Amino acid sequence: MKALNPRPAREPGKGLFMQSKLRAAALLAVVVTLGTAGTAQVRKEYRYTVQSHASITVTNDYGPISVTPAQGFTVIVRATLASNKVEVDQDQHGNRVDIVSHLLAGADADSGRVEYEVQVPSDASVSLHSTSGPLRAEKLNGDVTMEGANAAMEVHDISNAHVHLKTLNGPVTLTNIRQGHVEITSVSGDVSLSGVSGPLVQVNSTSGKIHYDGDFGYSGDYLLTSHTGDIDAIAPSDASIDVSAHSVKGAVENDFPLEPKTHLLAPIDKARAFVGTAGKAASKVVLHTISGKIRLKTR
Amino acid sequence: MTCYEFQQELPELVDGGRTAEQESHLNSCRSCSELLADLTVISELASSLQASEDPNPRVWNSIEAALRKEGLIRQPQREPGLALVSRSRPRPLAFWWAPVAATLLIVAGLLFYGQLPFSRGSRSTPAQASLSGPKLASFADKDDQQMLEVVQAHAPGMRAAYANNLRAVNAYIQDAEESVQQDPNDEDARETLVTAYEQKAVVYEMAMDRSLP
Repeated sequence: MKALNPRPAREPGKGLFMQSKLRAAALLAVVVTLGTAGTAQVRKEYRYTVQSHASITVTNDYGPISVTPAQGFTVIVRATLASNKVEVDQDQHGNRVDIVSHLLAGADADSGRVEYEVQVPSDASVSLHSTSGPLRAEKLNGDVTMEGANAAMEVHDISNAHVHLKTLNGPVTLTNIRQGHVEITSVSGDVSLSGVSGPLVQVNSTSGKIHYDGDFGYSGDYLLTSHTGDIDAIAPSDASIDVSAHSVKGAVENDFPLEPKTHLLAPIDKARAFVGTAGKAASKVVLHTISGKIRLKTR
Repeated sequence: MTCYEFQQELPELVDGGRTAEQESHLNSCRSCSELLADLTVISELASSLQASEDPNPRVWNSIEAALRKEGLIRQPQREPGLALVSRSRPRPLAFWWAPVAATLLIVAGLLFYGQLPFSRGSRSTPAQASLSGPKLASFADKDDQQMLEVVQAHAPGMRAAYANNLRAVNAYIQDAEESVQQDPNDEDARETLVTAYEQKAVVYEMAMDRSLP
């Protein structure tokens, strides 16, 4: 019978060498595992009973924070601590819950890491802070505030709430935010908005790119501003918008069927700007950059 | 009361008292309480600048000389009016100057370009101009360096990121200033300049607040 996967003939002496390498690798793996067990992760769980519109704050220097909705009026915080060089300070005052990762002497980005999984009542206001992140919140209708230097931020399925995010480098992704009061400040992180609408959607970035894919809602202000970051916006051709786009030094592209405005305060340099309306011009859309490119496209 | 409703009433809150409902919201909403505190500080600082909007240029020169001599950011104690809202986590003492420096920088920049309502719409007086342009940039450079030193001390791994971001926002401010100078009546350019200053404030805020371990 023919072997399905015949092994190549071993070279004399090489088999023993390979076996010893495998043994060494296996031994190393065991040592690493034991070492990890020595600085064992610690899991902790905290539960709080709150009322409607509770305020939950989590401050975590290193590590992710994920927030999802809970059943009823209970806040559940599950923390996985990387080592005994970090502990969790937690406090409840009435309807406010504060969770802080407390770094102890000698803690660094690895040993001071805490992973948080937090469940909150869906109407709770959530404020998350982390240097490294990532930060994530979903399926809530309370206000969401996030702040972090390098933290990637993801916010999904939020309605009727303020979403305020600040980051230096971290990428920001917002998906399916309805009736939101959205304010995003990113210095160099890219910002991506998909299905985001509401009375105010404002993104300010210095060098990060801004990408908007949505319908611009009905009767909102959409203000996307950057210094060097490109601004891309994609909307359905039946979107109802009043657009003003201007790049001081960069190019602009528009394939959206805009009605030109008849009353302009100043002539438009078509290489650098375009203005116009579509549909009933229900939402105001301002795209402004100094040297980035602006593209407005139909989906 | 929602944040939106509260923030609709912010102008009255900065100058006047609060209702029980507003007080309750302030106690439960960190974001709004911080916002109100920041606005109060800016309002107080701006008021003090407004009071000396049209002094003899010598006054400005002497102020500038005193600031240079004593070091704007090395005052031994924080003035009560400059105290920002306390955070849940104490800041390192060395960080206290950062919000002050950022606020002064922004207020000075905004006043220079006549953005704040209490700047009486004047674009610049000679006295204000003495604290703008290269001299303002000089203050900013010093502040930037000191901020980076603090970052270096507390989180050396993040220094490069902060330095890059500072460079980026300073370039943003410079470009925005050029746009305003080219067309001082361009409302968009003036708003862009405000936005650029706000971006710089964010960098400082990150450095002083929770984003450094």
